[in-house]
Amino acid sequence: MVVATQKTAAESAYLEGFDAGADWLANERQKGFDAFAVTGLPHRRLEDWKWTDLRQLIGKAYPPARGGASGDVDALLANSPLRDIARARLVFVNGEYDASRSQAPASGDVEVTALSTATSALPIGETEADPIDGLNRAYVTDGAFIRIKAGSNVDAPLELVFIASSSTEATFTTRNVIVVEEGASATLFETYLGGDGAYVSNAVTEANVAKGARLDRVKLQMEALAAYHLSNLKADLGEQAKLQDYTLTTGAKATRQQGFITFNGKHADADVSGAYLLNEKQHVDTRLVVDHAVSHCTSRELFKCVMDDDARGIFQGKVIVRQDAQKTDGKQSSHGLLLSPRAEFDAKPELEIYADDVVCGHGATSGDLDDNLLFYLRARGIPESKAKSMLIAAFVAESFDDVANDAVRVVLNDLADGWLAAR
Amino acid sequence: MLEIKNLHVQVEDENKAILNGVELTVNAGEVHAIMGPNGSGKSTLSYVLAGKDGYEVTDGSITYNGKDLLEMEPDERAAEGVFLAFQYPVEIPGVATMQFLKVALNSQRSARGEDELSTPDLMRLVKSKAASLKVNQEMLKRPVNVGFSGGEKKRAEILQMAVLEPSLCIMDETDSGLDIDALRIVAEGVNALRAPGRAMLVITHYQRLLEYIVPDRVHVLSNGRIVKSGGKELALELEKDGYANYTDEAA
Repeated sequence: MVVATQKTAAESAYLEGFDAGADWLANERQKGFDAFAVTGLPHRRLEDWKWTDLRQLIGKAYPPARGGASGDVDALLANSPLRDIARARLVFVNGEYDASRSQAPASGDVEVTALSTATSALPIGETEADPIDGLNRAYVTDGAFIRIKAGSNVDAPLELVFIASSSTEATFTTRNVIVVEEGASATLFETYLGGDGAYVSNAVTEANVAKGARLDRVKLQMEALAAYHLSNLKADLGEQAKLQDYTLTTGAKATRQQGFITFNGKHADADVSGAYLLNEKQHVDTRLVVDHAVSHCTSRELFKCVMDDDARGIFQGKVIVRQDAQKTDGKQSSHGLLLSPRAEFDAKPELEIYADDVVCGHGATSGDLDDNLLFYLRARGIPESKAKSMLIAAFVAESFDDVANDAVRVVLNDLADGWLAAR
Repeated sequence: MLEIKNLHVQVEDENKAILNGVELTVNAGEVHAIMGPNGSGKSTLSYVLAGKDGYEVTDGSITYNGKDLLEMEPDERAAEGVFLAFQYPVEIPGVATMQFLKVALNSQRSARGEDELSTPDLMRLVKSKAASLKVNQEMLKRPVNVGFSGGEKKRAEILQMAVLEPSLCIMDETDSGLDIDALRIVAEGVNALRAPGRAMLVITHYQRLLEYIVPDRVHVLSNGRIVKSGGKELALELEKDGYANYTDEAA
């Protein structure tokens, strides 16, 4: 394998640490490794990665690893914000399934197993030449396989908790495969909690939402502040399917999270939204690619990003409307709120429209708090810091207006309040 | 109660004076009207009283209940009893009206060393004041001022005033944009708040509002100074003759 550029310490550690393993995923790992060996880590000369140069960001070696958590895993688990709402949970510690801390759902409507022990052939899809996917495929240790059987409405939320905690540099790699069969529905939480140390967390979720099915997914990214979080969501939607996806990002030193949403059937609907609450030198880059491959589908994206101190938020959203995708309704907006003169927000909306009868739009704004609003609150007796917190909380709250579960919205509100109180 | 002495104000970072020696004393229980042409400094006076950023006081003083108002932050002034009903109340998406009223009232109460009001008590208080101002439940459920018409915003301002019970009410062109019915509702709301311990400063361009809120004193503000003061009949005189007599065409 010839790679033109000199390998970084991180790339070398990945290439040297490869072990295809002996389980059914061995073949997938080899494919992922072959892909990664060609691309290496992405860098700023690639347009899609110009703001997040992983070659530079991940300077050191973070060898692929599994298990062996340091610190108090139970304490971390006890603080998982959505734990009281979830009715079942699967826990993964440093990329390994932890059966003793997990509580599988009772219902026969849903099949849940660790990915490594899944026996049936699973639809692990391809993500074309994506470095996060390549790395994930090559080093995946475990993850969840969830199948919601046709016509089943699994109202009780299922929580996947990923805990990473390591005293040495390491990369933990998990992959979830979610299949929501025809007419079924489910609510899924993914919570990424960080303990000790500097590590790379690589997390991919593939979701296949079949005809008339619905998936509500809420992701909390609360990795350790010295960690790197690389993640993909790849969702394929069938006819009249609905995806309601929400991500709150507060953790990690640097984050690259991507969403690849493809409409394969008409009259499907995807809402992919999120918020960032960042401070110090945190860096978060979200890239979404929504592919309207067929007609009559609706997509909504709304990101509200709060950056304090030297933090940097990035939102790159691409909406592709294919030639046959008439009557597409696509709307994207991203808004940055800068709480410090050194904070930065970069937005790159891209619309690629090949059909002629569509309604598509995007909006991006960036700025600090509105002085007139602030003065109005203060003129009513509200002290400045409280007035600022109210306005920031209101800014963030708009992003989770469409999250269906009331209790989840309360938790998201509390998380924002907690972040604001710590400012 | 309110004593403004030789107040000189300019817009920050601009060498442009707006107020040039305002002298005004308002006693408890009195209603004073400040009238004047556009650009005379009426809104600036109200903003300086409430503590808005962007204005520089170059000379003079404002004393309220014996305290130096200019030394206080806007929220401290509010806790001290100063309330500005805005000419253009802002919309605050995402902040629920009831939550806003609760935080505002309790911030003021705790600044004054008083106990905070519970949510049920606040709900009762707001409901008791809202009906006469024709502020319905639907409006209270919305975020602050969001989607309100001009008239609804002004009624909501007076509702806030009724709930917060300030001792100095400053109304900045509260009549602007109101039709006659809305004007009557707003004026009734204001009149209901007239009390021996409460002073009011009604800033307006037109005499019309003063038919409903009858002032004790009327002042004419022109080029940043009070150029004439009188009783309520002064307003009628201005209505008849306009402001021409009070604008010196120096240029």
